[in-house]
Amino acid sequence: MKSGVSSSGSKRHVVLTVNGKKVEADVDDRMTLAELLREELDLTGTKVGCNRGECGSCTIIIDGMAVYSCTTLAVEAAGKEVVTIEGLGSGKELHPLQKAFIEHDALQCGYCTPGMILSVKALLERNPLPTELDIRTAIDGNLCRCGSVPNILEATLEVSRKMAEKKRS
Amino acid sequence: MAESKLLVKGAVPPPLDRELTVVGKPLNRRDAAEKVTGQAKYSGDMKLPGMLYGKTLHCPHPRARIVRIDTSKAEALPGVMAVLSKENTKGWRTSWYEVPELAFPELITHEGIEVAAVAAVDVLTAQKAIELIDVEYEVLTPMLDAEETLKAPPPALIADEEYPGREMFDRKPFVIQRGNLEKGFEEADVIIEETYTTQVSHHGTIQTRACIASWDGENLTVWDAIQGVWNSKLALAKSLDLKPENVRVMVKYLGGGFGSKAWSQRITYYAARLSMITGRPVKMERTRSEEFINHSRRYDTKMYLKMGAKKDGTLTAILQRAIVNTGAAATEENYYCRQIIWHTANLHACPNVYLEQTGVYTNRQTTGPTRSPMNMQAIFALESHMDRMAVELGIDPLDFRMKNYATYQSVGTAEAHLTGDGTTTFAAKIPYSSKILDECMKLATDAIDWKKRSRAPVVSQSPVKRGMGMSSYLVLQGVGLFPYVAEAKVRIKHDGTINLYVGVVDIGGGQKTILGMIAAEELGVSSDAVTVIIGDTQDTPYGPSCHASRCTPEMGPAVLQAAAEAREKLFEHAAILLDTDHKRLGSKDGIIYVKSDPRRSIPFKKACQNMGVDESIVGLGSRAPNPAEPMMATFGAQTVELEVDTETGRVTLLKCVAAQDFGKPINPKLCVSQVYGGIEFGVGFALTEEGLYDPKTGKLLTGNLSEYRMPTPLDFPPVEVYLPECEDPFFAYSAKGAGENTNAPTPAAIRNALYNATGVWFNDLPITPDKIIRAMREGTKGVS
Repeated sequence: MKSGVSSSGSKRHVVLTVNGKKVEADVDDRMTLAELLREELDLTGTKVGCNRGECGSCTIIIDGMAVYSCTTLAVEAAGKEVVTIEGLGSGKELHPLQKAFIEHDALQCGYCTPGMILSVKALLERNPLPTELDIRTAIDGNLCRCGSVPNILEATLEVSRKMAEKKRS
Repeated sequence: MAESKLLVKGAVPPPLDRELTVVGKPLNRRDAAEKVTGQAKYSGDMKLPGMLYGKTLHCPHPRARIVRIDTSKAEALPGVMAVLSKENTKGWRTSWYEVPELAFPELITHEGIEVAAVAAVDVLTAQKAIELIDVEYEVLTPMLDAEETLKAPPPALIADEEYPGREMFDRKPFVIQRGNLEKGFEEADVIIEETYTTQVSHHGTIQTRACIASWDGENLTVWDAIQGVWNSKLALAKSLDLKPENVRVMVKYLGGGFGSKAWSQRITYYAARLSMITGRPVKMERTRSEEFINHSRRYDTKMYLKMGAKKDGTLTAILQRAIVNTGAAATEENYYCRQIIWHTANLHACPNVYLEQTGVYTNRQTTGPTRSPMNMQAIFALESHMDRMAVELGIDPLDFRMKNYATYQSVGTAEAHLTGDGTTTFAAKIPYSSKILDECMKLATDAIDWKKRSRAPVVSQSPVKRGMGMSSYLVLQGVGLFPYVAEAKVRIKHDGTINLYVGVVDIGGGQKTILGMIAAEELGVSSDAVTVIIGDTQDTPYGPSCHASRCTPEMGPAVLQAAAEAREKLFEHAAILLDTDHKRLGSKDGIIYVKSDPRRSIPFKKACQNMGVDESIVGLGSRAPNPAEPMMATFGAQTVELEVDTETGRVTLLKCVAAQDFGKPINPKLCVSQVYGGIEFGVGFALTEEGLYDPKTGKLLTGNLSEYRMPTPLDFPPVEVYLPECEDPFFAYSAKGAGENTNAPTPAAIRNALYNATGVWFNDLPITPDKIIRAMREGTKGVS
């Protein structure tokens, strides 16, 4: 048996961590992680724009990697650590990326925004000082139709710079 | 400062006579925090107790007749609560753009039209029910290509086949003419003719359309994904035979519209009807592929242009013949009969023109508003041709445009005539309310170091060639007539609360922020002192659908007037406390003061407390329609520097510069974002996006986001934005619109830069690598 999964009837019991909290659910094998998050856990910050791994608005972080939750099965996330947009920041304090996105107007309609922020967050965790091209590459699987890309690049570079300054001082 | 001619009904508010403290500031958008935290609930994120889920069945053929439809198996499936089809909805009409379309027609006029809708206890049951519906079609030969359709005789109507509003435009040329075309060409030293084509393109909003409708036996409440709540409310009420006051439509957040969500569309009507039958809330959501085939798209066009000019660059004659494929069910209202020729009539000064636009009804998907629905195609052809002329004349493209600079406009967008309407000529020279296109062109070319650009293409041995191009544009601005009437209300309460009520939607353009800033400035308070009630027909007066860059220029004057009226009423309270005449008061930064002696002042809130506890002040504002004169438009120029690998056909945009005449930006930060959005659309239209159809079956082949290639973050060019300001006394703080107009010039600028790099004129969009490779392999010099 895969860790975190057990079967009962037609459904499987999964245990995973979502935004630092242990979550248990009985899921259909065919249920996507996006469906589990949105429909069962009411974490609707994760958006579904195409449901076939093309637009990136459903991006979440699993064990440090940015992943499309619409093409990940809920059972695949068993035993893993999932971070959604609701898991950023603490209490009322926004995450530095969220603040920078607001400040740089790195969003318009806001529908791609949670996925964008999580793609960028995963990037900064593995590469704290990315080049502009690194950022473009990291978010290339996230479509933004409103044209926020230049501002997303600026916001990310600023956060990266500030993180580096903080580390030095 | 010019005298205010603010477009409002009734008295024009008195000027503020002070520096601005809110307008012009790059404030953050008001709803950003909800969006970056995931707390923003879009229509598809909502759930209501007892909610049912709806699904629709779509016809897979572009033109077909339903011979038989059997929904009995679906109805018998446990969990299915209601099924709609033509059999139980005879005569029921939904509405798109106020044009009544049969909700479930017998004769299908484009691929994807719904033939049944189901409401069930969950999505899977609804989907299963859809699959149990049995339909027999008689498949008919579809009309697809506009030119071929024009050559064939008009189709005989079969059964209830309908082309709502088609008779207004189908196969009929609309004409703008002035001067003597023949004489104009005789005077010309250089004459060039060319044909341009533009492709089918789509909105590609990241949120697909989703709605919930809830009927409580008397009132219908709808949470929708649309750009206009009021137009949708009235249309829903009419379709469902309800009183408008019993219908409430809300859009709290919208995940992109770009015209596709200008009104409520069929799924909202189905959800409403299903809710009225079952008595439970019904949610419906389009899948991505449904979004492609069930939404209006951008008109594909073919445009022939012939231009003549004297040696010194003076334009003498322009002949244009444009064919526009309107797809199915386009109407006079959302088919812009004159808009592909209107720009040619007005952007550059030319005394002799004959411009003709013919729309053709086909069985491709419907067409409609699509971020500059006609502007982008019109400007692509016109500004491409201008560069071609400049090269033939040996004149710099910038100088050529300046030589023919038009300080006036000759014809409004709705004035072109059907041929045979008489001999009306559009020779008038009507001034603009404001225009600084010359400044925009200078800024855009200076910023890209235009002087570096040589007139002849650069000769280099490397397969990678570099080039620069430019384009200018004009786009009409606002109308103020129904359904684009704009009204606003401001309420100030005893406790100092200020509410602004606007019946529009923040579609991502920042409408909530911008309209709040206008009210705050006029009241003399900080932006965050104003609460904006938006995206809800309850409590708000009528507001227009936010498309065509219209929200700021339509709503702005109404909001300013409402806030000014509320301020003047509050000043009467303040005058008592300050022992002066209310006409002598001013307000700024939350302080009300005597203008002649600003030390005599009281806080804004204190003046409010002079009201009774239950009293409040209300100010109303209402936009007046655009006058016949002057003409109102936005302008701009864009330049592009790019590299093209002539062996792989890969185009790399090194830099784009946009200089836009928006009058005065209320919020420059948000305006810059709008320009970025325009460039994104323009780049996609120029290089990658193309809706392709199977030529035999007429079915869309590109109905997903991997086949339909929108620019990704790797494709996004570095962009520099300039927003030169000018006074325009007709708009609130001189603010014209900023939105769809920003993509109009981008494709022509890219195409002109590609010529500069390669020596090839690419006339067919999108300019994909295969076209570039073919042109280079064939050693084409000239047109591809």
